[in-house]
Amino acid sequence: MPITESLCNSRFRASFAEPDQLLNAVKHLRAAGHRVLDTYTPFPVHGMDEAMGLKPSRLPRACLAFAVLGLAIAVGFQVWSSAIDYPLRTGGKPLVAIPAFIPVAFELTVLLAGLGVVASFFVVSHLRPRFHIPDLHPGSSDDRFIVAAELGPDVPFPTVAKEMSSLGATESCLLVDDRFHRESSFWDRPAGVGTLLVACLPSFLLVGSVLLLNRDFQQRNLSWDGGMGAPIAAQAYDSSGVLKGGKVLQPPPPGTLSRSASPALAFLAGKAEAERAGRELPNPFQPTQAHFNRGKVVYERVCATCHGREGDNNGSVIVARGAFAPTLLVSPVVRDMPDGRIFHIATFGGPTKMQGYGDLLSREDRWKVILYVRELQKAAARPIPAGGQP
Amino acid sequence: MAHEADVLTGPADVPIGKADHYGHNLPLIDGNKSYHQVTEEVFGPTERRPPVAWWIAISITLSMLMVGVWGGYQTVTRGIGTWGLNRTVGWAFDITNFVFWVGIGHAGTLISAILFLFRQRWRTSINRAAEAMTIFAVMCAGTFPIIHMGRPWLAFWATPYPNSRGPLWVNFKSPLLWDVFAISTYFIISLTFWYIGLLPDLATQRDRATTKWKRTLLSLFSLGWNGSNRTWSRYETVYMLLAGLSTPLVVSVHTIVSMDFATSVIPGWHATIFPPYFVAGAVFSGFAMVLTLMIIARKVMNLEEYITTRHLEAMTKVVLATGMIVGTAYATEFFTAWYSGNPYERYVFLNRALGPYAWAYWMMVGCNVLSPQFFWFKKVRTTPWMILILSIFVNIGMWFERFVIIVTSLHRDYLPSSWAMYRPTFVEVAIFIGSFGLFFTLFLLFTRVLPMIAASEVKGVLKNADH
Repeated sequence: MPITESLCNSRFRASFAEPDQLLNAVKHLRAAGHRVLDTYTPFPVHGMDEAMGLKPSRLPRACLAFAVLGLAIAVGFQVWSSAIDYPLRTGGKPLVAIPAFIPVAFELTVLLAGLGVVASFFVVSHLRPRFHIPDLHPGSSDDRFIVAAELGPDVPFPTVAKEMSSLGATESCLLVDDRFHRESSFWDRPAGVGTLLVACLPSFLLVGSVLLLNRDFQQRNLSWDGGMGAPIAAQAYDSSGVLKGGKVLQPPPPGTLSRSASPALAFLAGKAEAERAGRELPNPFQPTQAHFNRGKVVYERVCATCHGREGDNNGSVIVARGAFAPTLLVSPVVRDMPDGRIFHIATFGGPTKMQGYGDLLSREDRWKVILYVRELQKAAARPIPAGGQP
Repeated sequence: MAHEADVLTGPADVPIGKADHYGHNLPLIDGNKSYHQVTEEVFGPTERRPPVAWWIAISITLSMLMVGVWGGYQTVTRGIGTWGLNRTVGWAFDITNFVFWVGIGHAGTLISAILFLFRQRWRTSINRAAEAMTIFAVMCAGTFPIIHMGRPWLAFWATPYPNSRGPLWVNFKSPLLWDVFAISTYFIISLTFWYIGLLPDLATQRDRATTKWKRTLLSLFSLGWNGSNRTWSRYETVYMLLAGLSTPLVVSVHTIVSMDFATSVIPGWHATIFPPYFVAGAVFSGFAMVLTLMIIARKVMNLEEYITTRHLEAMTKVVLATGMIVGTAYATEFFTAWYSGNPYERYVFLNRALGPYAWAYWMMVGCNVLSPQFFWFKKVRTTPWMILILSIFVNIGMWFERFVIIVTSLHRDYLPSSWAMYRPTFVEVAIFIGSFGLFFTLFLLFTRVLPMIAASEVKGVLKNADH
């Protein structure tokens, strides 16, 4: 294959120890009619662009284009989202508040210009992750300054090599051009890069689907049971197209008895009924520690806001804010009431201010709270020991 | 990078006899090194096993980081109530630390971008480490607002993304959102700039790699760099463009940070002087941190011939200049308060200097205004241990500056019934310690994994006298 051979043999490199020598060599080679392919140096050599005849890079234009794009996106998006898609007045500013849009517009301009020019640089310089480095000459990343050139017509290599060594070259040799013959890795070829991307596709899809599905990290959004946990039946508070009132939740038929609740009280509201309850209803619970503790919990969560934690009307919500005071639980009036009457008031409400709690507290809790109120009354009646701070 | 003139090598019109007097014509790097010697000395530390001192240092910094992780865990699981904030002082330690770290980051960009545009070639010895410092500092800064969110995993809510809550977008008129954009842009661009600067050195590291997996990894990250002049030519263009973009960016970032305060109506915050004052303070604190790190690193890693006392001296001059700008700003604030005739404004500043946080204020003045004045003396500017002490003082002072601005302006609200005092809890202090742990851990890893000196740039200025 004589043609390939001559092609391969027509390229050579010369290696120098100083950048000045390289610069001279490049100028000499170009003047002598050889084609300088490139130079490989550990740092940019000043004046080499002129010596090689390179034109100034057009990357600044790419940078400007990306900057304009960034500015357009930033201004466009801010105006669209703040004035068109979601027009909400904040801070007394107009919907299109140009001064307030400047910072974000500036930042996005810089961001896109910077990332864009770097991406353009990678593309035009063919820089991408590689396992095999093309045109890598020994020492070019350390202390060697190397020129690669193509021999001009009818100039034998030994002549040029002699010229190079007279210019200070430490080494010159013909290049077997590995552009065509190198053992290139599959992963460095476009097909390899494409295969890599396709291989990564499932992970991209996975990441994308997680982003799409995870709307609220407070709730479980990914259902691993295939949706079996979510019932198909109508939910209690859904609306219904067929049921009465347009609601799923219907009142039970009249006369329905609850399996868990106790039978209905045989009392009505009113003062006469309250007195009757006082006579007829004893407290079904003995004053044990467990019942007392439950009564305390209920009292402090529900009753104490108005009646006060000690039953002294020093509640956190109403009296403290200057509103009306409820009946004093530790007063002689309440102390002398029978349990049944207090139970009636707790269920149906008092004669003046108190609302009924019959539908908010269970019957057991209402009885147990009375046990606790009795203890409060005893504590209030007890004289405070002299010298002791309450 | 090859350029015409700079301070240390000097313009041509300096009289021959006076050159030494002005500090011109001195080499940027001592020791009359060859190119290969630079390669050996810069890349050597990344190829050897770390010394015992390094292991001791990283175990300390990792312990600090763990303290911070504990603090973050407490905050996230138990809530912001574990912090010392109250209804009056709703912003304190976290935002102080945020501004502190962002400010420290600014020196890296200043050295890599602004000194590059001003053709200050002495930057080549320190820019790599300073840029790394920027990235780590911005990472530390970012943790504070994210932890303060309480539910950090929802931090992405601060970005405008299409969501299922109807047309609901972030408020582009809010300075806090500007912050999100400014800090994230700053981080991304700084990282890009750093990576671009690293490319040639990663290639050198790749060519020196002895193990297969190291070579493979470095091949991936060095993007097939082979030192081609066509690439170098474009590379220099891109580097210049990035420097040009980073310069207004770095100014904008701290301007926007200062607008978090300046666009409010709190007396003590609502001031037009804030943006330049904050930017100067950021450069001041950042250079102090670079000095602190570099003085230790050059000693520990035997880089005295690369980071010479002349480099340190040049940086102390920046510290002195910015320190005086900051001092002037303090005085201007008091003048503005008096001149405004606004009794609330006047009260805030009197309270700042004479009130319950006066100790913090005078600590700030002592560290930031008085301590840099020692840099007027050449003896101090060229003695590393003295610079180290003063730079640490400046760091302490700049932390207190942010604390003073934030807490003293808030803690006495308009109504005396809302007056309150703020003191940090141990959880907050732990997170702060953790941020130092993160910063130094990353820096220590950096010094052993990547070349701490930009070898390709240093080689470019090595034989300066020949040209």
